[in-house]
Amino acid sequence: MSTAHISLSLAWRSLILVRRMPSVFIPSLVMPLFILVATAGAFRGIGALPAFEGSSYLAFTIPFATMMGGGFAGINAGSSLARDIEGGFVDRLIASPSPRLALLLGPALAAMVRSAFTTTIIFAAGFIGGVSLPGVTGTLVVYAVAAAFSVVTAGWSMGVALRTGSVQSVPLMQVVVFTAIFFSVPYAPREAQDGWLRTVSDWNPVTYMMEASRDAELAGVSASSLGLGILSAAILITLFGAFALFGLRRLGN
Amino acid sequence: MSLALRQTQALSRRAVIRTLRIPQAWVPSLFFPLMLMAIFSGSFAQAPGRIPGFPEVAGFIDFVIAGIILQAVLISGTSQGAALAIDIEGGFFDRLVSSPVSRLALVSSRILANVVQGIAYALFFIGIAMVFGARIEYGFLGFLLVLVFTALLAAAAGSLGVVLALRSGSAEAAQGSFPLFFALMFFSSAFFPRETMDGWFKVVADLNPISYIVEGMRVPIVGIGDTTDVLIGLALVVGLVALGFIACLMALKRRLRGDL
Amino acid sequence: MNDAAIEATGLAREFKGGIHAVDGIDLRVSSGEVYGFLGPNGAGKSTAVRMLTTLLAPTSGSASVAGHDIVGDADAVRRNIGVALQDAAIDPFMTGRELLKLQGVMHGIPRSDGGRRAEELLRRVDLMDAGDRRVGTYSGGMRRRLDLALALVHEPNVLFLDEPTTGLDPISRQTLWTEVRRLNAAGTTVFLTTQYLEEANELADRVGIIDGGKIVAEGTPAALRAEVGEPTLSVALEDSVQAGLAREAMARFGAFVDTDEQSVAVRLPGGSSALTEVVRALDQCGVVPRGLDLSEPTLDDVFMAKTGRRLEADEAPES
Repeated sequence: MSTAHISLSLAWRSLILVRRMPSVFIPSLVMPLFILVATAGAFRGIGALPAFEGSSYLAFTIPFATMMGGGFAGINAGSSLARDIEGGFVDRLIASPSPRLALLLGPALAAMVRSAFTTTIIFAAGFIGGVSLPGVTGTLVVYAVAAAFSVVTAGWSMGVALRTGSVQSVPLMQVVVFTAIFFSVPYAPREAQDGWLRTVSDWNPVTYMMEASRDAELAGVSASSLGLGILSAAILITLFGAFALFGLRRLGN
Repeated sequence: MSLALRQTQALSRRAVIRTLRIPQAWVPSLFFPLMLMAIFSGSFAQAPGRIPGFPEVAGFIDFVIAGIILQAVLISGTSQGAALAIDIEGGFFDRLVSSPVSRLALVSSRILANVVQGIAYALFFIGIAMVFGARIEYGFLGFLLVLVFTALLAAAAGSLGVVLALRSGSAEAAQGSFPLFFALMFFSSAFFPRETMDGWFKVVADLNPISYIVEGMRVPIVGIGDTTDVLIGLALVVGLVALGFIACLMALKRRLRGDL
Repeated sequence: MNDAAIEATGLAREFKGGIHAVDGIDLRVSSGEVYGFLGPNGAGKSTAVRMLTTLLAPTSGSASVAGHDIVGDADAVRRNIGVALQDAAIDPFMTGRELLKLQGVMHGIPRSDGGRRAEELLRRVDLMDAGDRRVGTYSGGMRRRLDLALALVHEPNVLFLDEPTTGLDPISRQTLWTEVRRLNAAGTTVFLTTQYLEEANELADRVGIIDGGKIVAEGTPAALRAEVGEPTLSVALEDSVQAGLAREAMARFGAFVDTDEQSVAVRLPGGSSALTEVVRALDQCGVVPRGLDLSEPTLDDVFMAKTGRRLEADEAPES
């Protein structure tokens, strides 16, 4: 059985589970939408600042919400894996001749699909709020950034799951992901940020991913921001992909 | 009567000690709101006075402290609720009920514990905010007024947690309700002025009692607004505390009757 | 003066869906008695105890504990009872000593005495070393002992124990039994529920057998057993000659019971007390028994006779 084949089956299983255990997954599907509505509604006034260049704050928030969707999808991959480890499903998989890599690729793929789903919901909500789709390339970039982020967070979360083997570690997965997003550019562009926050966000790779998505959404894809975004995504995926892969070694100990 | 007071004091003391012994019970109440306070202040630093509708406060952090404190006591309120649910699940609650413990003490002790925690959190956040340049315009009296609001908000949040615990008997249900109330906070002027909002969102915020409570609490800190605002805020939060307390007693009665 | 420690008349509790967990119970437990409530899982024992300890209101009937009505005068009841329910009702994040002191405050014991009382109780239930450790670290047996100590903080007249030794190892069980006997000897009335025959046999002065929410039999263990039948003595012999002699020797002790050729069996009304006489009689007739077996009816037999089911069935098919 090839890695690809098994990965696909695991991805499918992961997605099916959403229907079987809605209470576990509904929050992570509803939360990004809530973030969009609550943020854009509460802080709309900040859009009057010159740094925003007159763009709609709702449009400004879309990349934040879609990346949060990606983040939740990635965390779900980790929490599901932790649950499977506790429940023994993973043991059965290890005992079979299937390649272990599939354990990671499957859920990562599912996370990407889920992030695409939430991104669509966000765009729809934005549309209702009066923000139209930012052209073909722009829309694709927003989807891509969210999906890439979901892979990064899936790598992190699954790595944690493999090392702890316990659902109790989910809060740890969440804290790191949320901290990473919140200390980038969720609420205001870097130019508007206060000194210390600006320094932190300058160093945070997630910032460049969000900026790539935001430029695509607001101004049109620019080569430089897209380039930085792709670079950051590549670095993070490599980093956390390796984190998860090395976690595989720990299995069965 | 004094026995009931002694019992309340002993049970609250136990609730507070127990919280301290379990980091997961109090760390989120500090960490999450702290993070938001930092990020909001960092992101919206240019807002005060420069955006139509935003009052001329000294700094954004002065503006947002009240909402942050509210968030912290809300988290700890649901935490206390979860602790009570664990008592119910584990049978410790039964032990208390079968002892001559005043029914009032059973409920008040949890609420009182949250008030104690709330005051501690308020001191923490105000302290940190002041390190970063915030000032309380109305001085020491203003500070006391903020603590009064905090205590009342914590009492309301505590009673909310108690009601959830008594009705569900499940720690998960009590804890899991937090996102809902967290959401409610955004649909108010807890973090940003209502004057800058628009459309249906503004309508909701205008109707949300939390808006008026936080606005009242904010007056002594930022020095903008009048006594009416403070009084309206106080009246509303006192009303919430009363409602919450009644709801607690009713939920307790139902549980003791065995209908749950 | 009414010296009933516990009295119930038509006590019943119905739950939503028409479930009669307790279906009309009449009880009278005298002061200083040990009363055992014996019955299988789901018989209504715990529900009955919860009502008597004011944790649950009855839907009909009435009861009084320590002379006070459980509904009308609940607080007075609570001052006089000690309760140790099924799940050891403790808080894992507090130490044993802290819990004992807290319980003291709940009962209005002045703070100065509370510490002393806690110390005393820790010693009595043999938890001196563990007293300052968090209860979450205690073993199952230790938790039960602490639970018992908590129930005794205010020196109650009536002690309620709901399945006190379920799930405990034999040593912990014996320790608990010894403590119950000691408490009873000092004058405490004990009301205990159990699903273990041995426990009812060993501890109870009187036993109430409960099934399906009703009391189906009540009395001292010996009386209940005698109701069902008399003990049977079965003697195994070497050969038919010996059997014949044994038959003659044993004829006057009781009615014969059919058994195999190599054995002789009679009903022995006196039970084990009549055994020596039988042995002497056999000896005088020159009988050398290969084996003696005295089987008494058990409370399980009593349960079987009243309900048609076994009490300690491992695989219980009923709901």
